[in-house]
Amino acid sequence: MTKVIEIPAHLDDRSFEQFTAGFGEWPPEGKLLFDARGAQWASPYGLIGMLTAGQALAEARQERPLFAVPNSTDVKSYWSRIGFFRYAAELFELHGKVPKSSASGPSDALLDVTPVRAMEDVHEAVNRISDTAARILRAELGLERTATGRFSMALSEACQNIVEHAGTGGWVAAQTYTFRRRLGRRVAVIAVSDAGIGFRRSLESTHAKRFGERWGDGAALEAALIQNVSRFRDPGRGQGFRQIKPFLDKWEGKISIRSGTARLAIVPAWDEDVPLSEHLPFFPGAQVQITIPAHEAEPR
Amino acid sequence: MIETIRIGHLLRETAATPYRNLITRPTGAAVRDRIEAALAESDCVTALLDFSDIELLDFSCADEVVAKLLLADPDRTGRVLVLQGLREDQHEAIEQVLIHHGLAVVAVASGHGDAMPQLIGWVTADARSAFGCLCESGPLRSFQLAWALDWSDSRSRDALGALLAHRLVRAEGELYFPITIA
Repeated sequence: MTKVIEIPAHLDDRSFEQFTAGFGEWPPEGKLLFDARGAQWASPYGLIGMLTAGQALAEARQERPLFAVPNSTDVKSYWSRIGFFRYAAELFELHGKVPKSSASGPSDALLDVTPVRAMEDVHEAVNRISDTAARILRAELGLERTATGRFSMALSEACQNIVEHAGTGGWVAAQTYTFRRRLGRRVAVIAVSDAGIGFRRSLESTHAKRFGERWGDGAALEAALIQNVSRFRDPGRGQGFRQIKPFLDKWEGKISIRSGTARLAIVPAWDEDVPLSEHLPFFPGAQVQITIPAHEAEPR
Repeated sequence: MIETIRIGHLLRETAATPYRNLITRPTGAAVRDRIEAALAESDCVTALLDFSDIELLDFSCADEVVAKLLLADPDRTGRVLVLQGLREDQHEAIEQVLIHHGLAVVAVASGHGDAMPQLIGWVTADARSAFGCLCESGPLRSFQLAWALDWSDSRSRDALGALLAHRLVRAEGELYFPITIA
């Protein structure tokens, strides 16, 4: 029997939990159908989250899942332009007509969906984003030049986490769009996701003992994001997220990390997210989202 | 003697890339190896690391290149490390990393040999004041610094001792010199 995983009409970091709830126990038994026919929009986080699910199923040697592509021509075209279908075709059996990315025109994304498997891929992602990010971030978000440099630094550190900790590959994408509901301003978003071992397993051998019974996905995220620990003994390690934080503070940015069954966020004043969510449906690896809002002009 | 090492040049040799982004730990470690190899062949007193060809410097490379060079056996050569040509975001990345390690380094602006050197990283407030005073006044003895800042002599000695321990000033006999590259 085929189990249907419904893709929310608007798939972002919040509705992602509806998506993950669809899997039940992990790895899910039997054939899966990812039904995106009703999809109207997906954030970079949503897009690479779907690829991560496909990757994790492949690595768990599950049956190749089906993927019903969106009915909307615009949505299909956008997903094609940003490179989603190029990688989805390797992980899913696609059902429905997919426009060729060349026929969909150039992408307007800060960074198209890009696989991250080795340090060379981190260089590739940062080099690609550097070419366009400065112009877009200045023009659309009013960010100064130094902010665009820090945006690329954040991207670099988040991607390096995949290579160093995940034990498998992952994905990165970045885009600007308008956050109408929560903020009413444009934002730049970096999404990074992997299908790897997650924060709990990565840190378990070196840090679980200290937390005792509290140890779990939430405690592991807290250790990494708040206490800046690393599994490496090198005292310079584990600082990547810590050093992103001052940049986020300055620009009212937000970072959220989901791993396993927990999600931890540093929440700016404009958002109503909860800092820590635990007991979520399990999802493999780790998913990071960094959100930088447009600079608000000083009131006169 | 001053040995100028152009980091952008080393990056191009190391990573064989047209880009000027000094990112990821393996790249930073490879560039640091090149710097150490260049310094091993040099009898320079001051190593001037010139970042002016670098576009992006991430925290990992700030740690691998700058922090680890400073941490590597500081007493072996007595050599002073000075950074040049840092952009604001690069300056901040290095500063955050050095504060984490309790380290500090001197930085100068690119092409401005007479510009006031800056301290990047962690030093005490007194050491920072003493450094500023030395840069403005030129070489001073401990008691002269104490007069200039209206400090006790022991406070002055402690501040200069801290700067000397981090190799942020030079001492010749009782006289303390600011780091200059002019």
